[in-house]
Amino acid sequence: MPRRKAKVGPIQKFCSYAILATLGLIFVWLLFQQFRFNPAVLAALQGVQLKGRPQAASGESTAAAAALFPEVPGFSPLAPVQSFGPDNLSDKIDGKAELYLSAGFARMSCRSFNVGDTDQAFVEVFVYDMGSASNAYAVFSGQRRPGSPSISLTANAYATPNALFFTQGKFYVEIVADRASEALANSLQAYAKALLAQIPSEPGATGQAGLFPKEGLAPDTVRLSAADTFGLEGFNNVFTGEYTLKDGTVTAFLAERDTPEQADGEARKYREFLTANGYEKIQSPAAPAGAEIFKLDNSFEIIMVQGRTLAGVHDASSLEAALDLAAILSSRFKVQNSKYGAGSDGADGAP
Amino acid sequence: MNRGTDQKVNRRDFLKRLGYASALALGACGLGLALYDPRGPAPLDQTKALTGLGDFTAKNLAPGQAKMAIVQGTDRTVMFEQGLKALGGMTSFIQEGDRVLIKVNAAFASPPSLGATTHPEVLAAVARACFNAGAAQVLVTDNPINDPDSCFAITGLAAAAHHTGARIIMPAASLFSPVSLPGGKLIQNWPVLVGAFPGVTKVIVVSPVKDHQRANASMTLKNLYGFLGGRRNVFHQDINGIITELSQLLRPTLCVLDGTVSMITNGPTGGSLADLKETGTMVLSTDPVAADALGVELLGRTLADVPYLAMAQAAGAGQADYRLLKPVRLNTTI
Repeated sequence: MPRRKAKVGPIQKFCSYAILATLGLIFVWLLFQQFRFNPAVLAALQGVQLKGRPQAASGESTAAAAALFPEVPGFSPLAPVQSFGPDNLSDKIDGKAELYLSAGFARMSCRSFNVGDTDQAFVEVFVYDMGSASNAYAVFSGQRRPGSPSISLTANAYATPNALFFTQGKFYVEIVADRASEALANSLQAYAKALLAQIPSEPGATGQAGLFPKEGLAPDTVRLSAADTFGLEGFNNVFTGEYTLKDGTVTAFLAERDTPEQADGEARKYREFLTANGYEKIQSPAAPAGAEIFKLDNSFEIIMVQGRTLAGVHDASSLEAALDLAAILSSRFKVQNSKYGAGSDGADGAP
Repeated sequence: MNRGTDQKVNRRDFLKRLGYASALALGACGLGLALYDPRGPAPLDQTKALTGLGDFTAKNLAPGQAKMAIVQGTDRTVMFEQGLKALGGMTSFIQEGDRVLIKVNAAFASPPSLGATTHPEVLAAVARACFNAGAAQVLVTDNPINDPDSCFAITGLAAAAHHTGARIIMPAASLFSPVSLPGGKLIQNWPVLVGAFPGVTKVIVVSPVKDHQRANASMTLKNLYGFLGGRRNVFHQDINGIITELSQLLRPTLCVLDGTVSMITNGPTGGSLADLKETGTMVLSTDPVAADALGVELLGRTLADVPYLAMAQAAGAGQADYRLLKPVRLNTTI
């Protein structure tokens, strides 16, 4: 049977060839692209590990953390309790993690809530286990909001318009709301009291900062600097307090060490640090016995060591102010040393 | 009319054609199977990752056009609109059909009132302006510190994006690819949110002004940290170095730095309203370094307190002496 060919017009023929040519070009392009891999793909195949989200805490520690958070009427949890350790604290609080890590951070647990019947407020509660009362006080005092009133919740507690901050034993707690109102403040207080009932209280101890003379001291400036105080690497666990005296402003500092030799060693390092930064040693007949005075422009420093106690004044705006405060400090820790022989640990009850 | 329809096909022709077609289909499938490599390309030695996210600077700015506006006020939307007008309007930066990526700071699952993240009002104003200028699509992204869903929801950024028609790109693991910054010491084969960028033609960085425990200040350049994946907290040990490298990772089209309320202390998380201060200023700038230099002043600090700005300038990312850009100054409260 003879084969019959269909008639094809010139336009159809042209279109057919055009389509075939396009397909051919696509084929060649695909072939070419096959050998031009995305370099990121290759690098990925070479072993770069894309690391995941925060590690989950172990079941046991999560349960322990969850037990810290009380059920309080009006507080509706928005999510389960989250827990973070030293290795992933920054996954929750980013760069602020360094502040806690340098102060002996052990674990943080947090939980968010809706509070109130209508127009619900967002509240988040953070409980930091800092390992010791002094560590907890270090992060509490290091972040103290100036001018915020102390409250009677615990020995170290203050409130801001939308939040409460306090320590209890080794725990530092933040209860933060997204707004400020009297009703909400009462709710936060109620939650704080319920939370405190869950947290084991530890016996408080006289804080070294109690040695700071009260006159001229701004109470909310007393801090325990956990690390690298005044920029000196390794100058750790130092109490500081800011004064306004009749002759100028000055910061007092105080640190107790395990041995007199350790206190002497750190005093020497601080002297070297000052000298390296351009300070000059000067003399004054009014200086307390054994005190060394350093000066740079209009800033004065005084360093004193008595037994295991290292103390002094920092960045005084006048020599008179520096000497006044140094004299009072010196007499106070002389009395303290003769009374107890040794200092005490802990920070509960610090001013 | 089909000329072939009147020509009948007999059984033999039909079977032949069916046979040819089947053989062709089978051959194509067989060829595909033969060429299929389930393992993908083998890694090659010394291959390089991507070298950055790209240069998105506006190329067609009119000569003499202002590149920086410093706007004072209290209403974020008004401040943004006035500042944008001073820079020639959004059409100076966004053209018809552009696909715009807005990098926000959604780092924390924190409500907008606490000032730890980009304020949703600013995002809404920026997204609206992009659409009004003819943007085909507006995308919003960040790789937050906390859970991304919670972050975008609680910060109000998800709602702001939704209301304006912008789309949130969540930082799924599949969107990260390794990047090696040429000359970089830290960003080497490091996972970066590259997958948010395909088709993107413009990038706008919208940031709050914040204190930062490690970097002293978190503004536009620090906001770019949110493009990094992996265990990026290791970079906190060289915070100035990493922010300088981030300034090389991307050249944005426009930066919006919102210092209407700034986090003066206890950053970057804050937590208390006492950490915030009404600084009443918004900066719109094509230069991220200049924008941040002004932000440093809002925090009551100097350039010496924030070393990465001088380092970023030295690396060519912008001008730390923002006055050289002759910024337009506006006050929306008058």
